Amino acid sequence: MARKKQLLETAETYVSVSMKVNGVPCSAKIEPRTLLVHFLRDVLGLTGTHWGCDTGNCGACTVIMNGKSVKSCNIFAVQADGAEIITIEGLAKDGQLHPIQEAFWENHGLQCGFCTPGFIMQAYWLLQQNPNPTEEEVRRGISGNICRCTGYQNIVKAILTAAEKMKR
Amino acid sequence: MQQFRWVGRPIPRLDALDKAVGRTKYPSDYYMDNMLWGKVLRSKYPHAKILSIDVSKALKHPGVVAVFTHKDIPNNRFGLFHKDRPVLCDDKVRYIGDPVALVAAETPEAAEDAANLIDVRYEPLPVVDDVFKAVEGDGAKVHERGNVARQTRITFGDVEEAFDNAEVIVENTYRTGAQIHAYLETEAGLSYIDEKGRITIVSCGQSPYRDKKEICETLALPEEKVRVIIPPVGGAFGGKDDISVQIFLALITLKTGRPAKMFLSREESTISSTKRHMAYITMKTAADKNGKLLANQTEIILDTGAYEGLGPAVLDVAIENCNGPYKIPNIDIKAKLVYTNNYFASAFRGFGAPQVMFAIESQVDAIAEKLGLDPIEIRLRNVVRRGDYGVFRNKIEGSVGIADALEKARMHELWLRRDDIRKTRHRPWIRQGVGVAAAVKGYTIGALPDKGVVGIELTTDGRFIIKLSSTEIGQGVVAAIAQIAADMLSCHLKNIEIKAADTSQTPDTSVTSASRQLYLAGNALRKASEEMIKKLITAFSIATGEPAYNASVSDGYVVSTSTGRRLSYSEAARILEEKGIGREAFGEYEVPRTTPIPGTLEIPHLFYMYAAAIAHVEVNILTGVVKVKKLVLLPDAGRVINPQTFTGQVEGAAAQGIGYAVLEDAKIEQGILRTINLSTYLIPSIKDAPAMEVIPIETTEDTGPLGAKGVGEIGIIPVAPAVANAIKHATGVRVLEVPITPERLYRRLKEAGQNTPR
Ligand code: FES
Ligand code: FES
Repeated sequence: MARKKQLLETAETYVSVSMKVNGVPCSAKIEPRTLLVHFLRDVLGLTGTHWGCDTGNCGACTVIMNGKSVKSCNIFAVQADGAEIITIEGLAKDGQLHPIQEAFWENHGLQCGFCTPGFIMQAYWLLQQNPNPTEEEVRRGISGNICRCTGYQNIVKAILTAAEKMKR
Repeated sequence: MQQFRWVGRPIPRLDALDKAVGRTKYPSDYYMDNMLWGKVLRSKYPHAKILSIDVSKALKHPGVVAVFTHKDIPNNRFGLFHKDRPVLCDDKVRYIGDPVALVAAETPEAAEDAANLIDVRYEPLPVVDDVFKAVEGDGAKVHERGNVARQTRITFGDVEEAFDNAEVIVENTYRTGAQIHAYLETEAGLSYIDEKGRITIVSCGQSPYRDKKEICETLALPEEKVRVIIPPVGGAFGGKDDISVQIFLALITLKTGRPAKMFLSREESTISSTKRHMAYITMKTAADKNGKLLANQTEIILDTGAYEGLGPAVLDVAIENCNGPYKIPNIDIKAKLVYTNNYFASAFRGFGAPQVMFAIESQVDAIAEKLGLDPIEIRLRNVVRRGDYGVFRNKIEGSVGIADALEKARMHELWLRRDDIRKTRHRPWIRQGVGVAAAVKGYTIGALPDKGVVGIELTTDGRFIIKLSSTEIGQGVVAAIAQIAADMLSCHLKNIEIKAADTSQTPDTSVTSASRQLYLAGNALRKASEEMIKKLITAFSIATGEPAYNASVSDGYVVSTSTGRRLSYSEAARILEEKGIGREAFGEYEVPRTTPIPGTLEIPHLFYMYAAAIAHVEVNILTGVVKVKKLVLLPDAGRVINPQTFTGQVEGAAAQGIGYAVLEDAKIEQGILRTINLSTYLIPSIKDAPAMEVIPIETTEDTGPLGAKGVGEIGIIPVAPAVANAIKHATGVRVLEVPITPERLYRRLKEAGQNTPR
């Protein structure tokens, strides 16, 4: 996990940030222009959060910040200073899959899987807001995420299944 | 059909579990201590002479370790068919993504900043952006050899005579756009020197052995010095078939001795990566009064852009499939592959077939309309059936499910309600329609040699490790192979482990493309399994003294059919080890092929996949916006190995087909791509993906592993023509160009006087 740390810490223009990621306090010195997505991946080594575009269109980078879903490529790491972040790595508890993860797996809601962490985090937030979504509401809720492989049918199915599971 | 324990069941993919928890490591997820970051400086001109490259300022930039140019590349031309592509440009740049220099630095920021400090002086040249002007040959040349990279003509029968005797003739010119793969993971990888001193490249790709060969050839490295590993990749669709970051990574590690990482931004990926060939297709098609197709005369021009890539093969696929899945006695095909400065086109799911299918399926619909025939009926009157001779006078020996697919389409409720749907108007400005299309494409690499090896290792605790070089690009091949292996080796699925795509550990299983990886690897696996079972039985004979013909394998044991004695696989492993017989088995399979007909590379194929599609569209005649409401796909699939994987792949391909049909508009103006990010190049979001229904037509391909066919590509091919035919049904207007963007459709509606709300 050393990544580019050594170099980073010596540079003068760098700033420190600290945040809680999946319950663990983390801090580092980084270039101010570092995006949250790159901080999570390159500095913390949490590569489950993916980077898919430069324009905030794909949603592959979706994480939960202070209880809200955000696109971590749209936020500088310094803006997340002091924040609580949840990433895909933080969903499974004690080796138990989160019901959304289970539902994506069982319903074949993924192919290459690169979009999957983003969809799962978005669904996580969506189901917190609305534990009983209709298909239409699910579709609207994930319309900011893009998948190039699946044609979306199974993703919708997975989220609806997850909602059922979570009620149990 | 025979029932299997694992094959044919909707088992959740093993690899999907890791993906759902964020544990899978994709090429972009590899890091190492002390690694450098690579950044490419790319051309800003579509066509220019390079006068000089000055890297001195970049070299002085803090954090920069090295800057490379063409001078560092021993053999600076590569390519699968024709070595026309430079690793780093020397004399000229030929499209705006062309690589000119490569920076290696301690951080990605330093690498990027330094790349901007490289001073390249160019002399702009006239941009070759029009294929028709390009072929005339008196203007600028993209390559010394001229702008026509390949041309050919194939004729059978006599089209002119057939035209004289025809009842109807339809002639049109079609254009299809440059589609961008837009896989969600852009090109990425990491290189390092492994414990055996090999330069090791972990990167995206579709064929580790082929990538290795190109790295070795361009950098003049011996085979044993290079190792290529392809982990699960974040989507490919053909777009990772050509070299992207691999040679750059190898070069940095070779020259600096340090690990190196690259991960392209979306913009850099969109500009530099390969695209689907733009096509210009003129077709003159004739039929008799019963709708029997008599002749088809076709002229195809594919724009391959700056380099050939896999263009010659793409052209072949276009030629082979431009007559659709039909028996047409007289054909005449003229085809050209043309260089321009527009982009760089190469492989994309469907490989030339989506372009020509749009043309022929629009033609057939137009003929049906002229004759007053039902669109499905006319197709059924002309489709090939097993045992027929195809347009190239080739006997179709493989399974053919197209007639079945069309019959089922004819009985589908959406088709039965076709006329009611058209008459229903919720709003005065909305028109609805339902259209159909058929599709065909050869799978396997046709008449080109294509063979692969799969290895099986029996572990000491009685499990199996399957070793192959297939790459997991999202299609589920790894999981499918595991299911097949569990059945062939008669064991529980959890006792199968797959080791894939590492040239130091897995044998060459050829390239993962042309929808046939499952077919090829599956057949090689069958041979390896037979070998392995022989070994297991040998161990049984040694242990029990019973003859081999008494024994067979069953659920983790070798069992004697006469005495009932059994030997577990783990005991068998111990015996094989002790006796020095070895616990490994290999199987090689060579895909059967035909002799190519003159003027082609790989026509005809022995096996074809087929599909039919029905599309229901809603057109807003005031804006030209098309909404695909529902899509029904009927792919001829052979035996379905895993229904979930199968349906998912077809749906995903179909969504790309919708993008191709109405949405994905790569705007290239005078060689400059204007749609360079996902904010301007729009791919289907969930709002564009309609309800889909996949109805597999299960035919059995006798030669496939357990009867499976490839199906990776067929889902995309019939979609654009089905949508275009539905638009025609809805509005009376036929659009001859995809994507059918609102502007294009609106213009056509207006010309036809069809844009008045009523
Ligand atoms: S990477 Fe954040 S939206 Fe695409
Ligand atoms: S599964 Fe590949 S992008 Fe969604």
